Amino acid sequence: MKREEIREKLKQILFETDDRNADQVRDCSEDSDLRTDLGLSSVGMLYMVFSIEETFGVRFENVSMNDFKTLGDVVDYLENKTEEGKSK
Amino acid sequence: MNAGNKKGRPRTHLFYDFVKITAALPGVVAFRPKYLYENEAAKKRIRGGALLIANHFGFFDPVYLQFAVWYRRMRQVCLQQFFDSRAGWLFRAVHCIPVDRDNIGMDSIREIVTSLKNGEVVGMYPEGHINTENEDIQTFKSGMVLMALQSGCPVIAIYMKPRKHWYERLVFAIGEPVDPHTVCGDRKGIAAIEQMTRVLKEKEESLKILASEGKT
Repeated sequence: MKREEIREKLKQILFETDDRNADQVRDCSEDSDLRTDLGLSSVGMLYMVFSIEETFGVRFENVSMNDFKTLGDVVDYLENKTEEGKSK
Repeated sequence: MNAGNKKGRPRTHLFYDFVKITAALPGVVAFRPKYLYENEAAKKRIRGGALLIANHFGFFDPVYLQFAVWYRRMRQVCLQQFFDSRAGWLFRAVHCIPVDRDNIGMDSIREIVTSLKNGEVVGMYPEGHINTENEDIQTFKSGMVLMALQSGCPVIAIYMKPRKHWYERLVFAIGEPVDPHTVCGDRKGIAAIEQMTRVLKEKEESLKILASEGKT
């Protein structure tokens, strides 16, 4: 899956997670901070992770919420995960 | 039902049951637990997976909470720092689930959800810390709702009345099981979670009134 595709799907998940931050999500970039720029709480982060697992069919293992600071960090993680899936 | 630990060994309940059985009689004599129920539905024994939430007024709340559902084994969520302490073996032996409050790990959350899905009872304290200031119920953190939604298990609110003197009875006010999917309806995301958290906080407040009135 291309990086742009992952980013767009992630944006959709963020919309669904908390629609009160719709404007911030629409204008966000990979450098956007998940907590300060996109307004995600720790529960919001967990909700996002569960939604990602469902959408992308991946499993977040040995990670904690502080491992993901920006949207780019999540995209990186998913890019690696989907690459791993392909090589298996 | 009996998920393995991190080393892949199946969990044994031997120590847990030993502690529970040996503490039962002294506990009943010392605390003389009294059970109050919100309604008839709350009187039914818990079968299958359920998330118990309770107010947190002291270090021994996990022990007290076990008396509320004495007929079931229970896994309690506790701070990672207890696991890392010298007494860590004890928390492991009674199958507590560690959660690092400052850096929540997906493995801990998944363990809670998996336990619930496997039909276990899990106890949590949504206030997030021991409330030593007053008897008011503090703001609820909403993580427990997410876990209930993910597992599809009901949430059961319990209010434990703090004992002011050693001779006072331990009073439990037990609420009826709440299905998060019924409360949240079509709502999704954080809005649904916050809605359910508000409902549970209100329920805990009403159970507090029930406990203070003391009527069965």
